[in-house]
Amino acid sequence: MTSTLHRETLETLAFRAGYLALFALLVLPLLVVVVTSFAASGRLAFPPESYSLVWYGEFFGDLRWLTAFENSIIVGVGTAILATVLGVLGAFGQEIDDDSRIGSIVGPLVLLPLLIPPVILGITLLMYFSELGIRGSYVTLVLAHTLWATPLVYFVMRSVFSRFDWQQLDAAADLGAGPIQSFVHVVLPNVKQGVFVGGLLAFIISLQEFVMALFLSTASTETIPVLAWTEIRQALDPMVSVVSTFLILFSLVALALAVLATNLEWVSRQLS
Amino acid sequence: MAETNTDTGLVGSVGTALPTRSDLAELSSSRKALLLMAPLLAFEALIFVVPFFILLRISVTEGSSDHVYEPGTWSLESYAVVFNSGLLHDIILYSFLLGAIVTVLSVLIGLFYAYAIWRSSGIVKSLLLLSVVMPLLTTLVIRTYAFNPLLSPTGTFNDVLLSAGLLSEPIQFVPATAGAVAGQLYIVLPYAVLAIYSVLATMDWGIVEAARDLGASRPRSFVEVVLPQVIPGIIVAAVISFAWSVGAYAAPDLLSNGITFAVHAEDLMIGDMRYSLAAALSVVMLVLMLVSVTAITLVLNRFGGDFDLA
Repeated sequence: MTSTLHRETLETLAFRAGYLALFALLVLPLLVVVVTSFAASGRLAFPPESYSLVWYGEFFGDLRWLTAFENSIIVGVGTAILATVLGVLGAFGQEIDDDSRIGSIVGPLVLLPLLIPPVILGITLLMYFSELGIRGSYVTLVLAHTLWATPLVYFVMRSVFSRFDWQQLDAAADLGAGPIQSFVHVVLPNVKQGVFVGGLLAFIISLQEFVMALFLSTASTETIPVLAWTEIRQALDPMVSVVSTFLILFSLVALALAVLATNLEWVSRQLS
Repeated sequence: MAETNTDTGLVGSVGTALPTRSDLAELSSSRKALLLMAPLLAFEALIFVVPFFILLRISVTEGSSDHVYEPGTWSLESYAVVFNSGLLHDIILYSFLLGAIVTVLSVLIGLFYAYAIWRSSGIVKSLLLLSVVMPLLTTLVIRTYAFNPLLSPTGTFNDVLLSAGLLSEPIQFVPATAGAVAGQLYIVLPYAVLAIYSVLATMDWGIVEAARDLGASRPRSFVEVVLPQVIPGIIVAAVISFAWSVGAYAAPDLLSNGITFAVHAEDLMIGDMRYSLAAALSVVMLVLMLVSVTAITLVLNRFGGDFDLA
């Protein structure tokens, strides 16, 4: 009996040590980025020898970074709008008519782009957009990112709609509301948090996406991750850490908003 | 699901009283549904399905010295290059090797971490969840880049190990395959953890407790009770980890000297502008990956099935 107890204590200790070590390893790279952004010298080292805000000053004086930032926001907002419209309508349509044949292919079809390596998607879309003659525009980036953001919005909305009480919609119809009226006044108020979280996640996906953007952007439309990539291949200085800190901050704020609207557990489960 | 059933049930019950009205409602509801799904379907068709047919078409054109490819021509020369080039074989093999190593690590660590999240509560659970969600929402450029100051010969890990006396001279983690594995693992692990966790979260802890009350040790209750139930989550985790790691671009490029298929394909596309060859290589990789992903799924399914029988 005592030996079992002894073994169980050891198991518990090993288990805790295991996940705490993993926790540290998962957080460490992000910590490195944030801490090195406050470095005083140009050499990227962790921990830095001395601290300053020098690189933040550099960032706000650098037109290239500011332009890339603007590009990222334009593409992100475009993606959020398009993915939200497509995802919400699609999920709503499937919810109304659950056993249609076309409906059953929507889920797998929407999910499939996430399982294709982004490099292959980038190559494919670059060839396609070149054929169409719209290479290098913001539109191409928005369309590519929507391919990845839509599945998130779609599955978030599926999960939200499945908890919605559909009898309310019948009641609205009985009271004489048209389809658009009942959607705006009955469905939307009940699912608006889901729509908000879906749109927010779509924005973040676009903001952070890198490989497709690398293929599809040009010097005038390059987004933050693409410019960061070009920079780190040339020199490893703390400027990229500054930019990264902003991006991490963005995600943190977005996540906080999403969690406030719902909860962390739910948001996390939607992300997989 | 339950809600939609009551919905159709309601239509059905009205239908028995008023058949004509219900037929009308039924028809208009499926037409409405189709109308609502139309933009999404059109988008997926135009931006996903059609482009892949274009890729397929370009892969069977002749390469060209002054264009990116020779439009209108038919040729299998690009496939011949892919099948005969020793360099490309090495690159493909290295990509799959990297993919396999990262996938195994990602699923094992993901399983452990997801289980830890499932078993924890309160602030610890929130912190653990946050530790996977935050990297997931951070661009992979940053996630990869952070490994440089950590793993380089003059980096943090080597400093710590050297000053602790565990090493006599620094280890070259980057640039090396070890660095690429670490970087790529950090990219896919959050997805693996969440895929497994979302299945675990629907599980009833009572079953595990019952097994323990019946005398199963903790590791045994995990292997025999928890594991078979999370097979669907493990499959998703394995497929995502594998697909993304075989196609890894940033981590191998920045953290190792090894050339993966993705790095080489980017060179072919952007550097050499050889579209036919890049397209053929992509098609071959997609087919190989489809075969491996199917195999992984079948094997894991059987594994789950065996446990069900026992």
